Amino acid sequence: MSIKMDNVGQSFPKPDEEGMVCIVDSIDLEINEPSINMLLGPSGCGKSTILKMMGGVRPFGVACPTAGEIFINGEACHGPHNDVVMVFQKYANRPDLSIWDNVAFPLTLSLWKKRIPPQEREERVREMLEAVGLADKAALRPSQLSGGQNQRVALARALVLRPKIILMDEPFGALDAQTREEMQHLLIELQEKHNCIIVFVTHDVEEALLLGDRVIVLSTKPATIAENFEINEPKPRSSIWLGSTYANQQREKILSVLHASTSKDFQ
Amino acid sequence: MWNPYLPLSKSTKRISTFGSLAFVLFLWSLLSGLNIIGPDKLPSPWDVGKAFATLTWSETDQQKTVERSLKEVTIEIEKDAILPAEQCNQVCVPLYDNPAIQSIEECEIDWKDEQYPEGILWCSTKIVEGQSLLWEATYWSVSRVFLATLATLLIGLPMGILMGASTRINALLSPIVDPLRSTPVVAILPILVIWLGIGEVMKIAFLVLGAIVFLIPMVRDALQAVPQTYWISARDLGATEWESVQKAVLPMAMPRIADAIIASVSIMWTYITVAEYVNAEKGLGQLIQNAKRFSAMDQVFVGIIVIVALALVTYQLMVKLKQSLYPWESEL
Ligand SMILES: Nc1ncnc2c1ncn2[C@@H]1O[C@H](COP(=O)(O)OP(=O)(O)O)[C@@H](O)[C@H]1O
Ligand SMILES: [Mg+2]
Repeated sequence: MSIKMDNVGQSFPKPDEEGMVCIVDSIDLEINEPSINMLLGPSGCGKSTILKMMGGVRPFGVACPTAGEIFINGEACHGPHNDVVMVFQKYANRPDLSIWDNVAFPLTLSLWKKRIPPQEREERVREMLEAVGLADKAALRPSQLSGGQNQRVALARALVLRPKIILMDEPFGALDAQTREEMQHLLIELQEKHNCIIVFVTHDVEEALLLGDRVIVLSTKPATIAENFEINEPKPRSSIWLGSTYANQQREKILSVLHASTSKDFQ
Repeated sequence: MWNPYLPLSKSTKRISTFGSLAFVLFLWSLLSGLNIIGPDKLPSPWDVGKAFATLTWSETDQQKTVERSLKEVTIEIEKDAILPAEQCNQVCVPLYDNPAIQSIEECEIDWKDEQYPEGILWCSTKIVEGQSLLWEATYWSVSRVFLATLATLLIGLPMGILMGASTRINALLSPIVDPLRSTPVVAILPILVIWLGIGEVMKIAFLVLGAIVFLIPMVRDALQAVPQTYWISARDLGATEWESVQKAVLPMAMPRIADAIIASVSIMWTYITVAEYVNAEKGLGQLIQNAKRFSAMDQVFVGIIVIVALALVTYQLMVKLKQSLYPWESEL
């Protein structure tokens, strides 16, 4: 399994005037191993745009990507790929469905209905609800759960398809510190169990350090890869680890790259 | 302190409702009781009440006669004899086949009829016939609104959904549909009469037209108001284009679509009198129309009140139904 971006760029038409504005520029990136890959950059730099391109979801009225090519498992990809699933910050949980039906939703689509027999579908949903610790909440609706629990539902819904690649767009951005930590541990656990590639977008340096096998720091306007950090430390990493010399060194390096790339705006 | 979100207790609500209705009734009684406006313009509440009672149930006497050849009746009588009045009941009552009739006023045998040389029995009596003009009118109006609702949904829902699901179809149809919203539908009635005649089809078509021009754009807007995330998410999970509409966007749009349906039916109730203006033999609109012709203002008021009440009841029922179908809407 692999995901590869080859010189990918994205421009959008300027709102008022003629011409295009380049949001993402010549991204070269290759991920071949099951791992957590953090896309780190300031708000508005184009992280979500990059993730949408990876997911093949193109809700814009323009060509996407405008330059380059994305390869999933070595094949050029131009639409949503069956092995790639996205998780959004706003969960996208359906308020009209129970928790069970939310997790089972992808399996009700004709694509998966054909491939997975009914009995296995049910087993998968049960298994995933247990894995995210919501087995006893199956009959409730999303509005009856907390933010963290809702994000667990979204995770379960993504994993129920056993995707090889999961794209997460600031999934824990709206959670409180404690819930966020719980979710981070859950994510590490699930990633190790399912052995998948996770691309995780965040603007939080500490989150990047805690979760990442690799931290990809983005510059702004347009977004390009400024620097790539490997973090070969055992997971889960504690807040004590965050205070260690190694973590502090990495943090300093990342922050200096971020500052360098943002300060170029002001020059 | 004033709080626009303050929930009211049930009893407060009830008292407010009855209070305001009672106030209107009081003002009305005062105006007609003091004869300020005059009964030809504003009938008094009690006159309207009386009119309501007569329209609900009125009885009329009718002479009912029955004629039978003597061959069909078992009767022992000599030819050319006169049937005694005491035998009337015995002979005639069974012929009426009506349990309400136990006695007969008159009876006679005609021995000289050319068609029936064997003799013919003739019975006659008064029958009290009751009828409910109001019930009949209501039945017809409700049926028309019901049929028109079905037709409106059958045509309007698919169109609205298609327009909401595809910006192309919307671009194609909205130049036709959107201006219709502000067309004076009432002014179109004569055209409908020319096209469809003065029968039921025209009346239903008029109601459909009046409601559908609102339903279609509202259904479209309901779909377009669903956050794009749900569509994106469904597409990403492998939904086909139609599946992402059918299984993600549409279910999320349902509460607003239900609102659109409720509004459409309410609009129909306001148009029913107009629809029944032309050549209606039955219906609440016709009842009002007829009463107006005879300057029976009290009956006009009854008709209006019944229409308002029916509209309110259907509205409440539909709102209740919607709330039970989509309880999650209020939790968003
Ligand atoms: N469909 C679009 N049309 C035009 N501009 C867009 C569109 N989507 C995103 N942008 C622009 O791209 C930039 C990056 O957006 P985004 O990827 O959402 O940033 P991030 O996720 O890093 O906060 C923003 O300046 C935004 O205005
Ligand atoms: Mg974003």
